[in-house]
This record gives sequence, C-alpha cells and structure tokens, in this order.
Amino acid sequence: MNANRFDLGGGEPIITLRGIAKSYWREALEIPVLQGIDLEIPVGSFVALMGPSGSGKTTLLNLVAGIDRPTGGTLEVCGHELNDLDDDELAAWRNTHVGFIFQNYNLVPVLTAFENVELPLLLTSLGRRARRERVAEVLALVNLTDKQWNYPRQLSGGQEQRVAIARAIVTDPDILVADEPTGALDAKNAEEVLGLMGRLNADMGKTIVMVTHDPKAAHHARHQIHLEKGVLDRAVEVNR
Amino acid sequence: MRWLALIWKSLLRSRRRTLLIVGSLVLSVFTVAVLQSLLTTLDSITNNPNSGSRLAVRHKSGITQMLPRSYETFLRQQPEVETVCSLQWFGGYYQDPRNFFANFASDETTIFQTFREEFGLANITEAQVKEYLRDGAGCIVGESLALKNGWKVGDVVPLTGTIFPINPRLTIRLIFKSSRPSDENVLHFHYKVLEEGVPRMKGLTGAFWVRVHRPEDIPRLIERVDRHFANSAYETLTETESAFNLAFVKMLGNISAIIQGITIAVVLAILIVTANTMGTAIRERGAEIAVFRAMGFSASRVLSLLLAEGVLLVGLGAALGLLLAQAAAGGVRSAMGAVMPFFADFEIASATALLCLAGALAVGLLSTFIPAYAATRRPITEGLRSVG
Ligand SMILES: Nc1ncnc2c1ncn2[C@@H]1O[C@H](COP(=O)(O)OP(=O)(O)O)[C@@H](O)[C@H]1O
Ligand SMILES: [Mg+2]
Repeated sequence: MNANRFDLGGGEPIITLRGIAKSYWREALEIPVLQGIDLEIPVGSFVALMGPSGSGKTTLLNLVAGIDRPTGGTLEVCGHELNDLDDDELAAWRNTHVGFIFQNYNLVPVLTAFENVELPLLLTSLGRRARRERVAEVLALVNLTDKQWNYPRQLSGGQEQRVAIARAIVTDPDILVADEPTGALDAKNAEEVLGLMGRLNADMGKTIVMVTHDPKAAHHARHQIHLEKGVLDRAVEVNR
Repeated sequence: MRWLALIWKSLLRSRRRTLLIVGSLVLSVFTVAVLQSLLTTLDSITNNPNSGSRLAVRHKSGITQMLPRSYETFLRQQPEVETVCSLQWFGGYYQDPRNFFANFASDETTIFQTFREEFGLANITEAQVKEYLRDGAGCIVGESLALKNGWKVGDVVPLTGTIFPINPRLTIRLIFKSSRPSDENVLHFHYKVLEEGVPRMKGLTGAFWVRVHRPEDIPRLIERVDRHFANSAYETLTETESAFNLAFVKMLGNISAIIQGITIAVVLAILIVTANTMGTAIRERGAEIAVFRAMGFSASRVLSLLLAEGVLLVGLGAALGLLLAQAAAGGVRSAMGAVMPFFADFEIASATALLCLAGALAVGLLSTFIPAYAATRRPITEGLRSVG
C-alpha cells in the first residue's frame, strides 16, 4: 500500500487525488505548496483537513472544489476527471456537485437571506415556483424560515453562516467544502453550525471536507487528515 | 427573484455612487441633446430648400428705406422671373405687445405663388384663395399661430400697429398648414390695407420677393436688376435668400465647431467619471464575484451581469436626461418661438435622442467592460482571498 494512501473506511471513493502537486511561482522561483498528494475520500465521509497555517489546506480544498487547478497529478471528483473540463464545464460541474461554505459567510449584502439562497438555483432549469419551494425547504432545514426576508446585516454571524449553508445545499450537491466555517463564530454558534453540518452528513449523506485548525471543530468530523508542509502527514479516525 | 431583480439590486448597492453616475449622465445627456438639437435647428434654417429660387430686392441704404412699387413692372419683364411679391413688415401685435408674431402686408395676388412651399399651397383649394382675395380686410394665418390664439376661420383679429399708425381689423379667411412650425407663426394681409391706411406708404414697399424659374439664373438677374436701378433715386440691393443665409452659415460654422467641441468634452468627461466609478465598484466586489463563480456562474455569465448593470445604470441616466431635454425643448418652443421664429421648430429630434442613447450605452459598455473583464479573468482563489 502506498504510504500516502489513507484509509478513511470503506465505500466508493467520491474524491480521488493522484499525485496532486501545486506550486506558485514568484518570478522564476517555484514555491511548492502541495507535493504528490494521493488521497481517496469515500462517499459520505466527513473529513477535517488540519495542519498548521500555511501548510496548504486551503489550496488542497480549492483543488477538490474545482476552483483551482493543480500543477501536477489528476483528480477525479464526483465521477469527473477535473483536468478534462474546461472553465465553463467546471463552473457547471461546481453548480451541480459542490456546495461552498466560507469562513466569512460571503453572503451578498444587497440580497435577502431568501434571495441569497436562491442564487445558485438561477443557474438551474428550475422555474420560479420550484425554486421558491426548494429555498423554503432548505431555509426550514437550517431553521431560518422566520429570517428569510432579512438582509445579511440584519442577521447574527451564526445566522449568516446558516444562510450560507442553506445556499451551499440548495442545489443538492454531493460534496460540501468548508474553509474554516467556524473561524469567525463564538463557541455557541460554532457548535450549532458544526451540529448542522454533522446532520447534513449523517442524515443527508453529504460528503463534507472541512478545513479547520480548531481541534474542537475537527472533533465533529469522522476523520481528520493532517497536512504538514504540503504532504499528508497522517489520518486519524475520530472516536466518539 | 429574476435576473433583472438581481441586476437591479446590485445596482443599488451604493446609492450614493449610483446617484452620482445617474446624475452626471442626466446632466451630460441633457447638455448634449440640447446643444445638438440647437445645431440641427439652426442648420434647418440655412438649408431651407425653398429659398434657392427666391431673391429679395431692397433699398440699397437699408431695410427701413422704401422702394417704389412701380419697380415691379421692370422685375416682371425679366424672362427669368416667375412672380414678384411686395412684402412689408407690419410689426403689429394682437392684444398684448408681448404677444409677438410675424405679420406682413403683402401682395395678395402673388403671395401664394411666391411662398408656395411655406404655405403648403398643394393643400389649399382655389375657393379658399378666392375667399381671401375677395375680402380686402381678410387675412391668412398659420395653423400654429391660430391654435395658440384660439382663432378659427371667420374670426376678426384686431392688430395694433407699432411702426404704422393704423389698427386694422382683419377677418381670418384661411388657416394654412406648413411643413415647419416656424413657417406657421405668421399672418399676412392685403397690401392695400397698408397703402390706403398709411398715406406715406402709398406706392411704396419695403421689399420685393422675386421667384425665378431656375435658380441658376439668379446671379445674372441680380446683376441686371441692381445695374438697372443704379444712380436712380431708389437704388436697389438684391440678394438671394441663400446669400442672406450664407452669412448665417459662416457664423454657424463657428457655433457648430464649438458645439461639437463641447459634445466631445462632455462625452470624454462622462466616460472618465463612469469608467472610474464602475472600476472602483467592480474592484470592490472582487470577493463577491469569486463567490458567484465558485457557485457555478461562468466567467461570461458574470461578465454579462456586470455589463447589464452598467448598461442599465447608464441607460437610466440617459433616459432621464432625454426626458429633461424634451421638457426643456417644449419650454424653448413656447418661450422663444414667438420672438425668434426658427425656435418654433426647436425639438429634440428622434435621431438626436437615439444618438445620445447610443452614445450613453457605448459609454456604459466601455466603462464597465474593462474592469468587469479583468475581474472575471482573475483566478477565483485570488478573489476569495481578497476577503481578508
Ligand atoms: N496565489 C498565491 N501565490 C503565492 N503563494 C500562495 C498563493 N496562494 C497560497 N500561497 C501560499 O501557499 C501556501 C499555502 O497556502 P494555504 O493553502 O492558504 O495554506 P493554509 O490554508 O493551510 O493556511 C502559503 O505559504 C501561501 O503563502
Ligand atoms: Mg487557509
């Protein structure tokens, strides 16, 4: 078995990375960030990607989510070889398969909670009524039906992040990627958001890859992967 | 939410900035529309296609000097001449001295022939002309003048003379329609009214308007007429309507250059303001654009949304500016039309309006495209990082 293959339990892999490398160039100087990453993440996993600041967690997550391209290696996510997709195909692929959750929520300030959640659906073939029903459904799921006409500035941080989660799942994607989703939240709100993510994983079968450096947050995941200077260090199963 | 709602809400992100752009566009489009329309209006006077076959014969010493009406005999004898009409500016007013309009004593027998285009002679029946000829105290008025004063055929119009000490009471016998509103702001009455009412005008006229068969005969005719009356008690100055207008055109050349210069300056200024504002607005949205793209909006989709915002913004400003210009044109027509007849033609032509709209849209597209294109070429990861 390859030293970099990590056993995250059985199941069909939904994310497969083979020899993934990513470098940045500062003039002629190559700055390697990720080097030869091999990883399989089975369907239905909840993985916490951990490691010190600057170790390449965000870079790896962005590659998996298809908003960045590797400088070496191949990655197959949700049945698609991402290197084979052009930018527009990749955009369409993200819309169907990936939901994004950011540290600072990144809601559109001029849109209401409802409209923010509806945004990704504008790209689908759903009609107005179907969209509305779907948005209502996910807003109920994150328990924010009563705040749906509020603008982001009228919501607390925890509420904003729940709207962002609703937006991430509204297209019913297979994978959720979250980069430090609780980094801007207090402990209580962080717990609530992580609990919600846990339910999305357990009840709805969403595969979740979450970057965090907070051990408490990582504890909500089922597996933890440690990244150290651009290479995978170890994987740990979380005991509950 | 529909696409348009999304675009509209994004547009209102910064109300102050939106107001700034819309406001400056309203002002610039208003300025350009009014100036360009002024140019078109002035152009149309010098380009009167009917003036090419007419010339005016006046006293050499100025327009206040009179010529004997007997000169008409010589003028008529010239083979080039089709018709001759004595015309005297009467300068009367109706009810109120401020209520100004052009009114003339003119030779009723030739006036229609001489100015047939201005009177829209094709639409006037012979019976109507006879009606006017029959009534020595009759008059003819243009439709817009009649409308303004609520006159109809058969009404009596008392004119108060200012140059001549008579106050003729004239009965409207004909209301004519012209193709240009400025030609309708006029009243003519029988020459005899002036001659019989004002003894010193007996046998005299301010000018003869001569219509020729062929415009190319005009130079020869001018030369012959002025030579014939040289060294007489009443020497003449003959010139074409176009020649008179030529002096005007010369002046117009400068006005035109100034107006075009101002237009270019305004367009450049608004382009700079819009480009700068749109550039800042789009750069500030780097993170949001990255989020849109992460969610699956393609670069070209985001670009279209941003362009639509720019176009909507600019279109809004341009439309408001044009509405304002349109309202101002109405004001100019009613305020100045009576004083300077050609202002009665003042309008924002649809060609001018379209040009302004197209120019504004070009400004909107140009000023949005560059920053928007740059924003959508930027890597998504970089945009997300800019959140800080
Ligand atoms: N666009 C970039 N250009 C140059 N260096 C970059 C760029 N993006 C990330 N890096 C570098 O790559 C390394 C890993 O970054 P990142 O993946 O954000 O780390 P983490 O999320 O683990 O803190 C860092 O040293 C960072 O400075
Ligand atoms: Mg990071």
